[in-house]
Amino acid sequence: MLSLTPRIDPTIQSLLDDRDYLAELLDALGSPLALVLPQRVPKNVAAFRETFRRHRLSGRLYYAHKANRSSALLRELAAGDAGADVASLGELQHALSAGFTPDRIVATGPKNREFLWLAARTGVTVSVDSADELAELAGIVAGHRLPRVPVTLRLTGFASAGVRVLTRRSRFGTPAGELADLLDLVEKRADQVELTGIAYHLDTVGLAEKAVALEGGLAALDACRARGLRPRSLDIGGGFGVNYLADGAEWERWTTELGQAVLGRRPPMTWDGHGYGLRAENGTLRGNLAVYPAYRPVAGAAYLDRLLRTPAPEHGLPLGELLLDHMYDLDVEPGRALLDQCGLILARVLTVDDDRVRLDLNARDVSLEEHGVLMDPVVIPRTGERRAGPAGVYLLGNLCLETDLITRRKVFLPIVPRPGDLLAFVNTAGYFMDFSATNALHQPVARKVAVYQSGGLRRWCLDEQYWPVHSRQETL
Amino acid sequence: MRHDDITEAIGDTPLVRIDPAVHGLANIDLYAKLELLNPFGSVKDRAAWHMAGPLLDRAAPGDTLVELSSGNTAKALALLAGMRGLPFKSVTNRMKVPEIKELLLLLGAEIDELPGRSECLDPADTDDPLSRMHRQLALEQTGYLHTDQYFNQRNVDAHVHGTGPEIVKDLDGRAPDWFVACVGTAGSSTGVARVLRQHNPDVGVIGLVAAKSDFIPGIRTIDEVHEVGLFDPGVYDALETITAEEAVDGLLTLVRRCGILTGPTGGGAFAGAVRFLRTVDAGLTGRRTAVFIVCDRVESYLSYVRDRRPELFGRPPRRNSTRTLTDAEVGAAPEIAVPDAQRWIEETGALVVDLRNPYAFQALHLAGSINIVDEAFADLLHAGLPFSGRRPVLLVCPVGEKSARYAALLTRMGHPDVRSLAGGVIAWRDAGAELVRD
Repeated sequence: MLSLTPRIDPTIQSLLDDRDYLAELLDALGSPLALVLPQRVPKNVAAFRETFRRHRLSGRLYYAHKANRSSALLRELAAGDAGADVASLGELQHALSAGFTPDRIVATGPKNREFLWLAARTGVTVSVDSADELAELAGIVAGHRLPRVPVTLRLTGFASAGVRVLTRRSRFGTPAGELADLLDLVEKRADQVELTGIAYHLDTVGLAEKAVALEGGLAALDACRARGLRPRSLDIGGGFGVNYLADGAEWERWTTELGQAVLGRRPPMTWDGHGYGLRAENGTLRGNLAVYPAYRPVAGAAYLDRLLRTPAPEHGLPLGELLLDHMYDLDVEPGRALLDQCGLILARVLTVDDDRVRLDLNARDVSLEEHGVLMDPVVIPRTGERRAGPAGVYLLGNLCLETDLITRRKVFLPIVPRPGDLLAFVNTAGYFMDFSATNALHQPVARKVAVYQSGGLRRWCLDEQYWPVHSRQETL
Repeated sequence: MRHDDITEAIGDTPLVRIDPAVHGLANIDLYAKLELLNPFGSVKDRAAWHMAGPLLDRAAPGDTLVELSSGNTAKALALLAGMRGLPFKSVTNRMKVPEIKELLLLLGAEIDELPGRSECLDPADTDDPLSRMHRQLALEQTGYLHTDQYFNQRNVDAHVHGTGPEIVKDLDGRAPDWFVACVGTAGSSTGVARVLRQHNPDVGVIGLVAAKSDFIPGIRTIDEVHEVGLFDPGVYDALETITAEEAVDGLLTLVRRCGILTGPTGGGAFAGAVRFLRTVDAGLTGRRTAVFIVCDRVESYLSYVRDRRPELFGRPPRRNSTRTLTDAEVGAAPEIAVPDAQRWIEETGALVVDLRNPYAFQALHLAGSINIVDEAFADLLHAGLPFSGRRPVLLVCPVGEKSARYAALLTRMGHPDVRSLAGGVIAWRDAGAELVRD
């Protein structure tokens, strides 16, 4: 058995235990079905706030909208004290309609003119990626006689001293070395834009790279202050991660066995011997295990805490202390980490043929493989009796395509699934639910349902019907 | 012993018997091959010299020696390159021991740390560090001399010609019954095993690797060995796993009881050897011999040991430390709020001490204040009051928390009028009070 058992929160577990409820939902709304748990979100926000408090830092926590397009999750966040990080015109409209006021929204990512206009019109903070974008924004503000727009400058490619910490090239941000030119432009456009901070986006799990960038961001803020500008915050983006698995030993065993399988020293564990980035060359293992580090003992708010305790590469003081000493706010933009344990996807088993289990959903409805997160689903048998296992199976999707594998690895389930059973892909609210879902081949995209507690009862409604003010029975 | 050149001092390391009272084996003589006594401090001196020698002989001025190494190989190569006036560049996928990093910088090495893995999966990024380094070297198109320790047969040859025969010579022409080595590049274990088996085909070769979740500098994990071109599982009669805890235990035993200043790799080899040999010792009738390798020295791993065994570095509590304050003392710390503080400073001419880091202090501070950074201030206080009691003192930190602790301590030490700025410099700023940059 090479299981990769998911980490399951009590709320999700109690939902999984309520088989009749889930079966009824699926029968009513069809397979696949996405469930979001909006009331779980405030707990994740609170964990980040606790890290802020421990380091005596103030600042904003922006939810990265792209992680899930659910209205229920967004509205629940709007009801609390988090902000929203929007990366498109549609996301900005969605955030505004969910109740976020403009001072709680930051616009990031690639932006077209419409997006820039609505951002400027409503007065949300714009995270600017280049001098051209800044000039275009200032032009829109001037042309439409809008009030000054708050901007942060997103930088990239911070240099490190001594040991050169190499970072992957990013599509986003202006090279840190070109800050002076950007600031010239900010000063020239002072009637249209107001600099409020510096930002960066780093796609890495490596603390060393983030430490270099954070310290580089502080130096950039200091350069702004030296010019008489009044920036107040450093936005360090997201990438704090989620721990998906219950057991680190399972993860270690699985990855070791995969290497052995790629070297031909044990039977294959994957469809057609797929190596997840690893390959054998003359008996030596080459390549890079291209999957998400699914077992991460330090993730989310704890990862941020670790980062803030990390000594600055040059100044030696912990980064959190440096931020505090300088009196800068810390802004963060977690996506996945705020949705930890906030949702699951259900699908019905259609056929079971030897080691192939065909499901009524496809790889785009639950894009675990696309995002490299290896985590087993939970089998919810239709009837009460349990059937003998374990079973090593491949999960196949409902598209007429050879590529439509829900898992490229053999999944070991504790019991043998049968047609009519449900499979639950838990903890899938962050990125796996609707990031790539499409209507390809006229297969329906999963309906989305918000499951919540009200008046001591578990209730559900369509995602778009959920608002954080629950029905009147709670006041009765 | 007279040499023309430090490289002549590489090799010919001693084989030292470990006191049976320390290892507790009844029938086995256990010997340590002291590779830490190589001139640059490790077993890697041999491989580095053997691999780099020919490259350096044909190097053109301006060429750079390069290796993917985060430790001893880099150190030896940096020194060898330096002797020829050539630069050395180490490319690593995360150098985890700070002392080694600093030592390499001192030796003049250039260090590139490769990027970590991406948070959102990037299917385009499937390169291992080795391929990435090869590509980077090819891109830069200058004179790189790459020793390629994980694939270079000369790494193994260094031990076929040196380490292996030396062990046999020191055991009076015989091979030991067991040879125990940690597996890093697999160079020393493969080379020595080859020589020993020529003398005694029955020699038992034990390879030690690190537990997957552990980090022992210089040892690969059970997965990582498969990425090494020189690694052949057939060389080893057994591959055993050792933990970082065992390695530190072994290190302490060798350092404290045997006078052998080993690093964690040697400590791990000792611990792994004793653990393995204990299982066979009881069944033996005659005398047997075993040899393990002490790869390098302890000095470079102080922070590594300190992280895992802070109690080993315990110091007696120091006088006048904020750690000795009670909650009641901190609660009673004399504070002053921002509006009162402004008036008070003006009236009394109080000395304002800012405890923040100098970089932040220089950016913005209260006019007329002086900067004594937190740690330095703590050091000063160990020796007693650094101010005259006649002048009032206002302590300032970011939010007024640190300064409250120091105000409580200074009060306890007898200062009659010390206060902490409530809410700190952030409250000062938020109240719109003046901050200067001068």
